Amino acid sequence: MIIKVNNLVKRYGDLVALDHLSLEVKEGEVFGLLGPNGSGKTTAINCILSLLKYDKGEIEIFGRPMAPDAYDIKRDIGIIMQNVAVFDELTVYENIDYFCGLYVPDKGERKKLVESAIDFVGLNDFRKFYPKKLSGGLLRRLNIACGIAHRPKLIILDEPTVAVDPQSRNKILEGIERLNREGATVVYTSHYMEEVEQICTRIMILDKGRMIADGTKEELKAMITLGEKITVETFSFSKENLADLKKLPNIVSAEYRDHLLVVKSGKGQNNLETVLDFLKKNGVTFGKIYSELPTLNDVFLEITGKQLRD
Amino acid sequence: MPVFRLCMKIIRKNLSSMMIYIAVFLILATLLSLNGTKTQETGFSQVKTNIAFFSEENSPLIDGFRSELSKTANFVEVPDETEKLQDALYFRSVTYIIRIPKGFTQSFMSGKNVQIEKTVVPNSTSNAYVDLTVNQYFNTAALYVKTVPGITQENLVQHLKTDLENSTSVAMAADTKANANQDFSVYYFNYLSYALSSVLVLGISAIMLVFNDKNLSRRNFCSPLSAGKINAQFILANLVFTFVCWAVMVGFCFLFDYRNMMIGNTAYLILNSFVFTLSMSSISFLIGNLMKERSAISAVCNVVTLGPCFISGVFVPQELLSPTVLKIASFTPTYWYVKTNNQIASLSSFSLSALSPIYCNMIIEAGFAVAFFAVSMVVGKKKRMSN
Repeated sequence: MIIKVNNLVKRYGDLVALDHLSLEVKEGEVFGLLGPNGSGKTTAINCILSLLKYDKGEIEIFGRPMAPDAYDIKRDIGIIMQNVAVFDELTVYENIDYFCGLYVPDKGERKKLVESAIDFVGLNDFRKFYPKKLSGGLLRRLNIACGIAHRPKLIILDEPTVAVDPQSRNKILEGIERLNREGATVVYTSHYMEEVEQICTRIMILDKGRMIADGTKEELKAMITLGEKITVETFSFSKENLADLKKLPNIVSAEYRDHLLVVKSGKGQNNLETVLDFLKKNGVTFGKIYSELPTLNDVFLEITGKQLRD
Repeated sequence: MPVFRLCMKIIRKNLSSMMIYIAVFLILATLLSLNGTKTQETGFSQVKTNIAFFSEENSPLIDGFRSELSKTANFVEVPDETEKLQDALYFRSVTYIIRIPKGFTQSFMSGKNVQIEKTVVPNSTSNAYVDLTVNQYFNTAALYVKTVPGITQENLVQHLKTDLENSTSVAMAADTKANANQDFSVYYFNYLSYALSSVLVLGISAIMLVFNDKNLSRRNFCSPLSAGKINAQFILANLVFTFVCWAVMVGFCFLFDYRNMMIGNTAYLILNSFVFTLSMSSISFLIGNLMKERSAISAVCNVVTLGPCFISGVFVPQELLSPTVLKIASFTPTYWYVKTNNQIASLSSFSLSALSPIYCNMIIEAGFAVAFFAVSMVVGKKKRMSN
């Protein structure tokens, strides 16, 4: 087990930021912590890294208790903070060299690692640039390079793609998958469900400091009743039609708004065919029709009754 | 030592703004050294006072007086009109007007109480010499008139001439002897307080500001380098910077004033500057801990360094500052530094009694260093806890 958190409680006055949170991260996983803003993701990470004192609970990393002075443990952790933490006075190369130097004292070895990190995040053309000259995406990449240059066994990324353009985001996500393939265990926090779905092998959903679901994305989706969401673009759909549609077998809900008919059906086959038959039988003309499998947002919505990005 | 190296890089990055202070300081020092090459006055030479002399009678006594007066005064021709005389005094073409009234000689020779009319520019120190000559001449003359009845004016003048030519040899006491020209050194070391404190505040607060950044300090905390090691490297870097700044600035003094560098006074000036450097680096630590914005560094630097320099006697000598100003200034290390420099400059013996006030002042300066360092540690810890 790489990380084991047991019954973690963190309070800020009357506010319970983490409410008896327990989690386990196994070696080789890309573990996603998903939750809306203020759900306790960053607090959990800060407690795991001993940056915050917590009120109750135990944290073990690499099988040893984590503490502010657990330097042997810290040596094998790479941290990429939510806020970019680089020195404006240093160039790209110097920044990576500084952070790598905190872990690797040998100059020769460090040089190779820094070069490799620059290659990894694709900042070769910017190595002499100062952070202020970099775009938001490049700055995030530099932040990542500073965190992974020393080749840690455990990499913790706290919302690394906030305010990043799609191109840089893809690059970052590809990089994380590559790091994982090279043997690193990754803990990834985000409120972007698409990212978490894309790269995480196991996901924990947090809300108000509590774990509300944990598993692979398939396991999470299997937890809810929604099996398929069918959206139909139509300009004529009466209330009677809507009432009749809801009576069809395996239909969980149906809504018609702004010329869009959204039908949610339970798990099972032929849902799309059933809806198509209904439309044909009732002479409803339609433009587009498409079917989607449930997303993590649907999982979150069904469990908490609210959208993930509320 | 990554933290140490980083501190040095931050200082290098801020070197340009620091160099401005050093450059201005060096230019002033160069100008000073060029002006300071003239030989110093080692003895006393009297300056003659410009006076206007009007006598409403002529007599050997008055002629003798005029002749005696010419040793300490230059006679300036001014028309004997009230307005012209007032103008002459106002524009300082003369600072003293003597008028001998009619019948003065006769009254004087008969032993009566007589008076010479004088008009002077108020608070003119050179007038004291004229007063001295007048009093000396007529007091001595009065003595002859009283003790030698029937003495003629010619004899009296002859006696006065002989008597007043006598001079007394004066040996300068050790305490008042200037054993070397310390003017340049004192001015250099006094002004050094401004340049040095500016550079220290700029450099140290720039480093502190970077390390007090919440994100960076948290990121450093995640590293396997212990807080103790990080702090040790950090303090070492600041001390090295402080020492280098001090050494460079004192080193320039060697360059400009190498003739006086081997004397005891200069050694004490150097020691005093080192103690002052420590207190200023403590203040810089505190400022660095209190500051939140990089843009504020220059403004705070100007206030913290220029203010004390103005009220402590760096730019204006302490003798010319009011007691209230000096009392306020005594709450800054700069005041004690300048005061000590002035005391060191007037040192001619290095006995314990002569040095004890100097050591006392240095202890006060060191006290400032300890106090500010303690406060900055408390502030720094509070800041780290809040991060």
